[in-house]
Amino acid sequence: MNAEPITYTTLPEVMIYQVARTIQDGELVFHGYGSPVPTLAMLLARRTHAAHMVHIEGATYGINPDPPFLPPTSNDWSLDRGSVMAIGISDLFDIAARGDMGRMFLSGVQVDRYGNLNVTAIGDPETPRVKLPGSGGGCNLSGDVQHLTIWTTGHRASTNKAGKRQFRFVKHIDFISSIGHVSRDGISRQDLGLRGGGPDWLVTELGVFDFDPTSHVLRLRALYPDTTIQDVLDNTEFEPVIASEVSTVPLPTPEHVALIRRFDPLRTHQREFKSSDLSRCFDL
Amino acid sequence: MSIFTSENKRMSLDEAASIVQDGMTIAIGGGLSWREPMALLRELVRQNRRNLHVVGTAHGVDVDLLCGAGVIDIVEESYIGFEQDFGMAPNFRRACESGRVQVHDTCCHTIIQQLRAAEYGVPFLPVRSVQGTDFLQLHPEYKTMTCPFTGLPLVLVPALAPDVAIIHAQFGDAQGNLKILPPLVADLFFIRASKHVIASVEKIVSTGELSAMGPNVPYFWVESVVEAPYGAHPTSCYPFYAYDRAHLTSYYHAAQAGPEAFMNEYLAPYVFGPASHGEYLSLIGGAGKLQELESWKDGDDAWRALFTAPEGAIA
Repeated sequence: MNAEPITYTTLPEVMIYQVARTIQDGELVFHGYGSPVPTLAMLLARRTHAAHMVHIEGATYGINPDPPFLPPTSNDWSLDRGSVMAIGISDLFDIAARGDMGRMFLSGVQVDRYGNLNVTAIGDPETPRVKLPGSGGGCNLSGDVQHLTIWTTGHRASTNKAGKRQFRFVKHIDFISSIGHVSRDGISRQDLGLRGGGPDWLVTELGVFDFDPTSHVLRLRALYPDTTIQDVLDNTEFEPVIASEVSTVPLPTPEHVALIRRFDPLRTHQREFKSSDLSRCFDL
Repeated sequence: MSIFTSENKRMSLDEAASIVQDGMTIAIGGGLSWREPMALLRELVRQNRRNLHVVGTAHGVDVDLLCGAGVIDIVEESYIGFEQDFGMAPNFRRACESGRVQVHDTCCHTIIQQLRAAEYGVPFLPVRSVQGTDFLQLHPEYKTMTCPFTGLPLVLVPALAPDVAIIHAQFGDAQGNLKILPPLVADLFFIRASKHVIASVEKIVSTGELSAMGPNVPYFWVESVVEAPYGAHPTSCYPFYAYDRAHLTSYYHAAQAGPEAFMNEYLAPYVFGPASHGEYLSLIGGAGKLQELESWKDGDDAWRALFTAPEGAIA
């Protein structure tokens, strides 16, 4: 382990810390495959504030692993190191279906105001303009899990060649791969007979959000030291709720940062980020 | 599920693969970059299989290869991609976006429930989830109902019995008993639900040796067993070998460059070229490459190094 003192943290590390803070001690927590940000958040949480959380690994379903590094692919034995055993795929989804999965993490290429996510297709799903990889277990788990944390490293809208802004936080979602608080037809998740409270936190490279308890619309709660409310508004196609008090996110401690760097010597998590966000650093 | 009682189920790759016929529904074992039955899938491509419907959970190079070779008409999987390695799967994307392949995306628990319905011999199983998502529009075969016991809305998903499950296991015996090491992914569900099971294995051992390992698939579900060491390459098959990141990198670049490049730079040399599986193994780098992929056992540094393999040409 690097013995040099830790004097700064990166935006990705700060995001991992915000995701970790959404985990409660004692709950059973699962991350999907291909998700290094929540994987590191879970490894961090279990070694800091949530020593009794149950960590189920994303593709191997290993229990409470202690991996030597994070590989760029999820069905790898390195991710099961330290697990006493793994459960099976049906065990995992049955745990969620009967209401015993405390928290899960999902991302999306499109996110709407209610936390519905699209990872299936852009355009008409039957003849898509862009076929996305797919939702894995996200569709089922979004309706079964008690609490959901959404994260994305792509909140900032890009501009295409024609000069049109391409939003990830969209007014109209092309396909609902996983359900948030309200369906396309305006039906609440409770009336759909789904379990759990839906997404309660959403962490992006621009800020930390929850959902307004009355309208169920995305609500800004905190910013990074280098982002503003205007950044959020400029990069969100719909109008988010702004909390009456918007705080600045707490930074991880040097101990948190050391743990993240120890678990990810290959810096696999950085592959999720744009280079402009990798260079955002904060003094500790 | 049929019952297969032959004493000796050893076959060649081409004999086993020929159990798959045009138009069938297949389930491919393993998942992502782990324990994919790649040697059998390359054989399907060489046999020019067409119009297959593939079902399963989260996959990568296996389904992408079959899409790139024009073998598949319908993809009913929960994810096809290369995760943090390379992101989206180029052949799969192209096939879906051109309409060559029908998009029947599914979700992991949904497909497990469908396989379990087949396994249990019942016509459907319910799920609470899926409601409120657009998977209901994509799958008119799913039905909704009000539960007669609780009054809650439910989604009913029909039993799904694939024609053939194609599995790569670590160990098997000549009779077809198998020992598959975890992650098992959906393999056991595919095996119990499918009408035929064809398996390649890293190593065929005696029934006595296999029995001592605690086999997890009984012989009477398995129709054929093929000894194909490194048969999952370029995906991983621990404890034998890690995945071949350099090879996958070249695969990805060939696939990304378009159908013609994929044919010339990948399918022609690596799928249609080699006359045998042994020749394929020589082509991908022979003993030196295989030794490198086995070096994960030499400690964490050696293991980690396999994930930083140079993103260059295939050996």
